Amino acid sequence: MTEVLGDFIRALRSADVRVSTSESIDAGRVVGLVGLDDRMTLRDALAQVLAKSEDEKAAFEETFDAFFAFDQFKSRPPAANDDRADAAETAEAEGGEGEDGSPQQSGSPSAPGSGGMGGEPGEGGEPSPAADLAALLERGDQAELQMALAEGARQAQLNRIRLFTQRGMFTRRIMELMGLDGLNEEIERRERDGNVAGAERLAEAREGLRGQVRDYVEKQLEIFTANSGRQLREEVLAQVRLSNIDRSDMRIMRELVRKMAKRLIALHSRRKKVSRRGVLDVRRTIRANIEFDGLMFHTVWKRTKIDRPKVMAVCDVSGSVAQVARFLLMFLYSLQEVLPGVRSFAFSGRLGETTSLFEREKLEEALVEVLREHGGGSTDYGQSFMDFEEIALDDIDHRTTVLILGDARSNYGDPRGDILKKIHARARRVVWLNPEPRTMWNSGDSEMRKLQPYCDKAVTCASLKDLERVVSELLRSAV
Amino acid sequence: MSNERNAPAEIEAVRKGFETRGYICNAHIATSIFLAERLQKPLLVEGPPGVGKTELAKATAELLGKPLIRLQCYEGLDEAKALYEWKYGKQLLYTQVLKEKLGDLMAGAKGLKESMTRLHDFDDTFFSEEFLEPRPLLKALWQPGGAVLLIDEIDKSDDEFEAFLLELLSDYQISVPELGTIKARTTPIVFLTSNNTREIGDALKRRCLHLYIPFPDTDLEQRIIRSRVPEVEEELRRQLVAFVQGLRTLDLKKLPAVSETIDWARTLVLLHARELDADLVRNTLNVLLKFQDDIDNVDGEINALVTKAVQAR
Repeated sequence: MTEVLGDFIRALRSADVRVSTSESIDAGRVVGLVGLDDRMTLRDALAQVLAKSEDEKAAFEETFDAFFAFDQFKSRPPAANDDRADAAETAEAEGGEGEDGSPQQSGSPSAPGSGGMGGEPGEGGEPSPAADLAALLERGDQAELQMALAEGARQAQLNRIRLFTQRGMFTRRIMELMGLDGLNEEIERRERDGNVAGAERLAEAREGLRGQVRDYVEKQLEIFTANSGRQLREEVLAQVRLSNIDRSDMRIMRELVRKMAKRLIALHSRRKKVSRRGVLDVRRTIRANIEFDGLMFHTVWKRTKIDRPKVMAVCDVSGSVAQVARFLLMFLYSLQEVLPGVRSFAFSGRLGETTSLFEREKLEEALVEVLREHGGGSTDYGQSFMDFEEIALDDIDHRTTVLILGDARSNYGDPRGDILKKIHARARRVVWLNPEPRTMWNSGDSEMRKLQPYCDKAVTCASLKDLERVVSELLRSAV
Repeated sequence: MSNERNAPAEIEAVRKGFETRGYICNAHIATSIFLAERLQKPLLVEGPPGVGKTELAKATAELLGKPLIRLQCYEGLDEAKALYEWKYGKQLLYTQVLKEKLGDLMAGAKGLKESMTRLHDFDDTFFSEEFLEPRPLLKALWQPGGAVLLIDEIDKSDDEFEAFLLELLSDYQISVPELGTIKARTTPIVFLTSNNTREIGDALKRRCLHLYIPFPDTDLEQRIIRSRVPEVEEELRRQLVAFVQGLRTLDLKKLPAVSETIDWARTLVLLHARELDADLVRNTLNVLLKFQDDIDNVDGEINALVTKAVQAR
């Protein structure tokens, strides 16, 4: 059982459920406690030690149902009775086999289906499944077949399956481990002996079994790889340049962006709370303890004021960065969703504030709206900075981080570095995120040279990974 | 092995036990209680507000016949309020007594050094269990015969407090700097509840069993109402549960929980209602919905919802 459980846990992990070692141990104890007979109880119980959030519960249930789907054999008609009758018939017809047939029915413990198929079962004490397969098929005991199949799959290390091209190989190996050779021999033997009906019946059963094994392998492949495909995709997406992302990936990307924003905020808020209690406030402590003759029973602590960082993000949505802008806006939107005190602005020719729009509208509508209102036109950094100065400069103070997302291509107009200088003087820091690689800066109409001196930091930000790094740094120092 | 066979039966026994005490639940919840008791692990209960997370702890305490010790978490909660505090007043009194007795004590002692040695013998009493004021966590550890400890709304507390709990949750012991480690006399059964206002740390989750209680389905909710508000007639009960279930499918700020369904059922009984109609619902909707926005939003849907609820089978 421990191996089955181990496989199950690996399947869970590939379905994005995080299972730690101590949790696997707990799962083992749970199985020992509730047993395997009652499927629903097992499922309820395991869910409580292995899946620890709402999302994980859902993933758990799906995986459990897929993994412990022991019904592939049940779909077969219960041929057990027919087979047994047939077996008895054959036994009568062929005197030699009569002796083998009878212990089978009387349930002798010696060996199940002892040697009925001419193999060498259990000789030398070693259980050889090979010889039993024909008997197993004849008996048609679904539970036993299931066990044999699971055992074969274990020996074949089916849990290592990763590629669909491996299906055939695994199916064959499991069949061999279950005793295909013995089965084939038995069929041949029956043919030789003229027992055509018996041989045909076994051959038919063999093909049925092959189908079942194939189904089983396919199901396992699905379990172990269902989610790794998505994981891979997510990883790739995080690396790929923002401008190259396909529209069809937008949805996954959006989820990624949200996840990242949330994680960053979680990190950030933890740090904020650390500084809540400050040093001893001696003056107030003495005062509070006057009634105790100055013995200090009540201590009064200085409270550190929680410094909520203010972030102002200015996003270029002009044609040259349109593709990237979508993602930057998306990120901005998510950031604003989780972190209070983010104000966002968008511009191409003129600049406008989008904070309330983001608050009001759902992401998709907000993006369309922003791009409709501010996007598309020719870029004018000078004008936009002037607008920004007018709208927001008064609100910038030593706690504000100003985030500028753009390529600094101003169509050969004056980018008004002087305004950025003013902003820089008032703000805590100015961070410029440029989607172009550094080698492209200052080429053509890019004005990074004029603007960079007034940035505390100017970096390339072309992929989600870049963005994550930058923002993480930003939040760390923003507190 | 005998354990194995009995598990489903024992879980069923837990469920029945809850039922006789008026806490109606499904096998899933009963399983978690069974596991928490057998594995001696804390149980983290999550779910929307008002689905009976706190009730579960109360019902368990009753079922096991153990006292329920409750710690309500809030922002700024610290060890002093959760674990123990020194009895300052008593210590102060003690120092006064000591001052007076000091003369007697020091009689015959030669020199400062000998006096100090004598004094040293008293330091230990100063910070001893006598002067310790146990708060909920310590009380739960000290309770002879064990207790049910409910750490309510853990998500409201700070991260530091959550980290502080880890020792208690994994080893059922607690370190008091002045005294050393205090171990539980009898392992308590620990419940933690969370409304998910913030993400609970992984370390904490790893140490706990995790139970998610969603809103109940129609059948379960009917059984709950039958048990909690028996006066309500069957027809009305069916309709009101169907109505609440319908309400939960809408996009609301705060969905009505079981506790609100119970309140509403009681309200309807008070009003001698026999079946739902739109006016009745409109007049009592504030029992179910706690935001004016929600009430306004639902207003247009009431007729449709009532019709559906009355027709539902």
